[in-house]
Amino acid sequence: MQHELIDVLIVEDERALAQLHAELISKHPRLRLVGIASSLADAQVQLESKQPQLMLLDNYLPDGKGITLISNPMLTCANCSVIFITAASDMDTCSQAIRNGAFDYILKPVSWKRLSQSLERFVQFAEQQRVWKIVDQQNVDSLYQLQAKNYRQDNGSKGIEENTLALVQTLFNQKSAHYFSVDEVVTETGLSKTTTRRYLEHCVEAGFLSVEMLYGKIGHPRRMYRRAEV
Amino acid sequence: MKVSFQIKLFISLVAFFSVLFTLLGGYYYVDVGRQLYQEMSTRAKIQAEEIALIPTLRNEVEQKDIKSIHDFMQKIAIHSDASFIVIGDNKGQHLFHSVFADRVGTTLVGGDNEEVLLGKSTTTIRKGGLGISLRSKAPIFNDAGQVVGIVSVGYLTSYLDTITVNKVVNILIAAVLLLIALFIFSWFFTRSIKKQIFSLEPREIGLLVRQQKAMMESIYEGVIAIDDNLRIEVINQAARKLLGLSQPARELRGQLISQVIEPVPFFAPQTMLAKDTHDEICRFNDLTVIASRVRIMLENSLQGWVITFRDRNEIDTLSAQLSQVKRYVDNLRIMRHEQLNRMTTLSGLLHMGRYEEAIGYIQAQSEHAQELLDFISSRFSSPTLCGLLLGKTARAREKGVELNFDPACRMDTVFQPLHEAELISIIGNLLDNAIEATQRSELPHAPVEVLIKLNEQELIVEVADQGVGIKPEIRDRIFERGITTKTRGDHGIGLYLIESYVTQAGGSIEVADNMPRGAIFSLFIPATGAARRSVQELEDTDYAT
Repeated sequence: MQHELIDVLIVEDERALAQLHAELISKHPRLRLVGIASSLADAQVQLESKQPQLMLLDNYLPDGKGITLISNPMLTCANCSVIFITAASDMDTCSQAIRNGAFDYILKPVSWKRLSQSLERFVQFAEQQRVWKIVDQQNVDSLYQLQAKNYRQDNGSKGIEENTLALVQTLFNQKSAHYFSVDEVVTETGLSKTTTRRYLEHCVEAGFLSVEMLYGKIGHPRRMYRRAEV
Repeated sequence: MKVSFQIKLFISLVAFFSVLFTLLGGYYYVDVGRQLYQEMSTRAKIQAEEIALIPTLRNEVEQKDIKSIHDFMQKIAIHSDASFIVIGDNKGQHLFHSVFADRVGTTLVGGDNEEVLLGKSTTTIRKGGLGISLRSKAPIFNDAGQVVGIVSVGYLTSYLDTITVNKVVNILIAAVLLLIALFIFSWFFTRSIKKQIFSLEPREIGLLVRQQKAMMESIYEGVIAIDDNLRIEVINQAARKLLGLSQPARELRGQLISQVIEPVPFFAPQTMLAKDTHDEICRFNDLTVIASRVRIMLENSLQGWVITFRDRNEIDTLSAQLSQVKRYVDNLRIMRHEQLNRMTTLSGLLHMGRYEEAIGYIQAQSEHAQELLDFISSRFSSPTLCGLLLGKTARAREKGVELNFDPACRMDTVFQPLHEAELISIIGNLLDNAIEATQRSELPHAPVEVLIKLNEQELIVEVADQGVGIKPEIRDRIFERGITTKTRGDHGIGLYLIESYVTQAGGSIEVADNMPRGAIFSLFIPATGAARRSVQELEDTDYAT
């Protein structure tokens, strides 16, 4: 199947950095660089004339902030995705970018590995989108969300460690009829309260424990755990 | 070139009086002439009529005894100041002429004899043998009552004019003397005015007055000027605002300062006379102000005081802001320093060819934040929630509090029982409380642990801080509206909201003490909506309303 090239616009006022980004993109077989804009105004002009599908957007530009471009309706119309790049100290802007639906967010100093991953993810995402459009127009929206998540690095960690889990499970196995509160488990195991809660809830999810609410004092219910009956 | 006020005033004074004197002189000249003519014509008339009544003359004229008339009249003419005296007969022929004796026998010149010959006295100004003259003619009657001759007494106008001019010249001399006096007076008068108004032009004075007014109204400080009787002369808008005075400035003018501002030692006459003060903290009408008082002296005599004052709270706010700015500057300095250190390390690594280490070093800089970003955006599907969590993390870090997300965090589908706005409100409030509690505890701050986990059965939200904890006395009432431990902001509304949202969704809240201090809020909201609601006695409470 013939792959279509994805048009990419770089918005970055630091010339050297823009060149490095450009190099990264031109090395990729599926990406095509259509322009480098060094200011917000320039970016808007190029966005209109070149209709890119992806934009690498830096936040700090000489004539304004890149974040203002994300909420621009022009982007939505052009169906252009954004990989937003900003300084690590600028988390506030990042949260704004997320709310406005940027495709990805990369913090400066840019990790090239991370940027490459992100680009790779976008290529696959675009490919999927194209395929879905043919297969089932209806599902595109719902799959969009899912697809965006599928490629995120996620080692599936739930912070569950075997030894600790065994410690908790042993306690419940010993007194299988007893209802434990979190405090009791803490006293017995010597774990911190937050860690204890995580293990207890993990066990509930796994079906090892069952939960019941105890309304001792008004307004202060307590969650009690017990060995689930098998 | 602009003429100065002094010169202008001087010139206009002099010009005005010159014109005034000229007009007066002109009028006087005309009036004097008129009066002289009137007086002279009366004189001529009386003389002529008296001469006409002399019996000897009447006889002599009737008989036309020229010789006798001449002898007689010559004597009279010598004693008269008239320019000429002429006697004519009833035919209009000269019988006597006091100046030209040879005119005798010739006809009278002037042609104004008809009325006289009819028996009437006349006074005319005519050109006669000697020139233009004012003359009075009287008829001479014989005993039978017939007109037998004419007496004409005349004054030459040139003679009259000479008299007038003489008089006017005297006046002129007086006027010139007056003008000189005026010159000198005007000069000193204008000089003294100039000195009093500090050599300012009237326009400049006007400008100054307006400038002063504008200045008074534009300044942020309250300004009150009082005179030496402690009465208000000027009070600006800021002063009225600060003191809470509703009446306009012109109504306040003239009032005693003690009527406007509660009597304070600041306005005690003894202290006011003694010295000026600067930045004294005192209370004006329940407002703590920082006030200054300056005396106004004019030529060593006290004219009053100017009092300026500012709201102390505003100054406190300003200094707080200033220290904030200073802190930012410090932060920037530290950041710059760190940046330089990093650059040095980096350039060192590159110099030594340790490229891998250099890359690792750079990546470490953003790694933590990027990890958090990736963690949050991968674990939570709602962009709004992601935004909230990242925003709160950043805010917390600014306040020196770390947010730790539990590795079990996950919420990748929409949670139906709660609106997104409610969820945001719940988590936002919980985090705010935890951050503030941590901030208020002693250093070092322990991180806030956050667990947000959605599984098939329920949504679990747990926020654990090691902050100041919940005070035992309000422990049982923390979810009531208006109960708070916060020192500022929206008091006692956050937990009330959380409680009502959670209860409505059929969930429950567990509050526990953290170890070694602080509080843990655990929320459990069933994914099946109000499924567990039936077993809850909470339903009977009126939180939901």
